[in-house]
Amino acid sequence: MIGILVSVINGLLLGSIYGLAAIGLTLIFGVMKVINLAHGAMIALGMFALYFLATSGGMNPYLALPLVAIGGFVGGVAVYWIGVHRVIGRAELMSLLATFAVSMIIIGLGTALWSTSPYNVQINIPGVAIGNYTIPGNHLVAAVIAILIAAALYLFLFYTRLGKAIRAVASNRQAAELMGIPSTRVLAIAFGIGIGIAAVAGALIATLFPFTILSGGGYELKSFVVTVLGGLGNPAGALLGGLLLGFIEGVVSPFVDVSWTPVIEFSLFVVILIAFPMGLFRVGRGK
Amino acid sequence: MSETILKVEKVEAGYGEVQVLWGTSLEVPGGHLTTIVGANGAGKTTTLRSITGIVKPTSGRIIFEGEDVTRLPTHAKAELGLVLVPEGRQLFADMTVEENLEMGAFGARARAHYDRNLERVCHYFPRVKERLQQKAGTLSGGEQQMVAVGRGLMAEPKVLMIDEMSLGLSPLLAQQLFQTLKELRDDGLTLLLVEQNVHLALALADYAYVLAEGKVHLEGPAQEVSHNDEIRKAYLGL
Ligand SMILES: Nc1ncnc2c1ncn2[C@@H]1O[C@H](COP(=O)(O)OP(=O)(O)OP(=O)(O)O)[C@@H](O)[C@H]1O
Ligand SMILES: [Mg+2]
Repeated sequence: MIGILVSVINGLLLGSIYGLAAIGLTLIFGVMKVINLAHGAMIALGMFALYFLATSGGMNPYLALPLVAIGGFVGGVAVYWIGVHRVIGRAELMSLLATFAVSMIIIGLGTALWSTSPYNVQINIPGVAIGNYTIPGNHLVAAVIAILIAAALYLFLFYTRLGKAIRAVASNRQAAELMGIPSTRVLAIAFGIGIGIAAVAGALIATLFPFTILSGGGYELKSFVVTVLGGLGNPAGALLGGLLLGFIEGVVSPFVDVSWTPVIEFSLFVVILIAFPMGLFRVGRGK
Repeated sequence: MSETILKVEKVEAGYGEVQVLWGTSLEVPGGHLTTIVGANGAGKTTTLRSITGIVKPTSGRIIFEGEDVTRLPTHAKAELGLVLVPEGRQLFADMTVEENLEMGAFGARARAHYDRNLERVCHYFPRVKERLQQKAGTLSGGEQQMVAVGRGLMAEPKVLMIDEMSLGLSPLLAQQLFQTLKELRDDGLTLLLVEQNVHLALALADYAYVLAEGKVHLEGPAQEVSHNDEIRKAYLGL
């Protein structure tokens, strides 16, 4: 019994990071209707950024997180101007192809530079014991950080002028322009924030598990599942969706082999798509 | 006659292959209420879109306060004081009324007058004041129109353009809103109004342009235009 409880707790901790990763994806979609297929590659870059800051840079991994976020933001703004700006408002296939191309370039470069053998970041934080089980300390810290970042994003979007401008552009870009909001700049910033969040999510994952340049792919897929659970374009729903996905993983993992997890997750994904096409959680979106 | 603040010079514009405006020219004097009327599809909305830069003119110029602003992006024109309340309200539906008004005052110039303008909006539209915390998308059509005009006022406009303000409103509410515009004009605001309701528009305006097929077909003091036989037949049903 305690084994299942611990498994569920671990699942929820991990779920908060799935949620954070998905927030990066859903924010970009919600604001500019672009499905960012470079999402996984950005997560992987976040992992490597943390690795190099912690090893070559000799930084405490947690103190390196803000740098990863800033790097992700700057890189995201650059990707926006180079690859995304031109395809905004065009057919969806265009932005899919553009972001897919960015993904291929990053994965290709990453493979050439760092091969595909696993890296890992050493972290030693005492865990919390429950009976004979231990909840690892790095998982607890990562979950707390993920939730804090999600909360900070919420406060930013709802209580700052720039955050509100992002929501205004998401709601009606033309009206935003008519009110004096420089919408292109706002889109670039929103894209940068989405990528920054994806990179930090990747960095947090790197504090938990070994990774390669290809590791982002699995989290990208999970982000899609989470996003569908939470409702596309809905950051608050994404966090809840992440927690739900983590919960489900926690519940099933004591009973089935890990290779079944994606089967279960994606069956769920299809069922939810059919039954609740708007997502399970219509939070913070009015109506 | 007061000074011209906004001038549209022989503007041609359209959508892709379809040309809509064929050399439209008009002038808006400061502190006056000017109206553009005309049949459906005449190009009234396209004229306002060309002024604000949502549609890029293929030739001709937009002169604002003596400067050529034809090529400026839309948000830069809003920042200068060229503000459009668009057809169909276009509120930020899932944001609150207060947030909508705040976004109206996004630019630095507008933000400096935020408190005064908010007071002004609440004074003219007490209904809006009661609903500041409500999501804009859940308001009634009339209330949404008040928020749209209010949001435009928050932008500290030098020229406030309103496209089809009376569309979908009860005659009483339309009358009230027009009364409000008159007060704003008397306060010194420059207005450019596009209206379906030709009666009300001509009764209120100082000067009127009649647009037909993308060109100015006729113009004059609103009084004279409303007595023009052709206009009476075509637009006023008399
Ligand atoms: N986005 C668009 N794409 C293509 N054609 C358009 C577009 N918007 C308007 N048009 C065309 O341009 C012409 C002029 O339209 P416009 O909206 O300027 O007319 P209007 O005078 O405002 O009419 P109404 O009184 O019906 O609002 C119409 O023939 C219309 O079909
Ligand atoms: Mg129109």
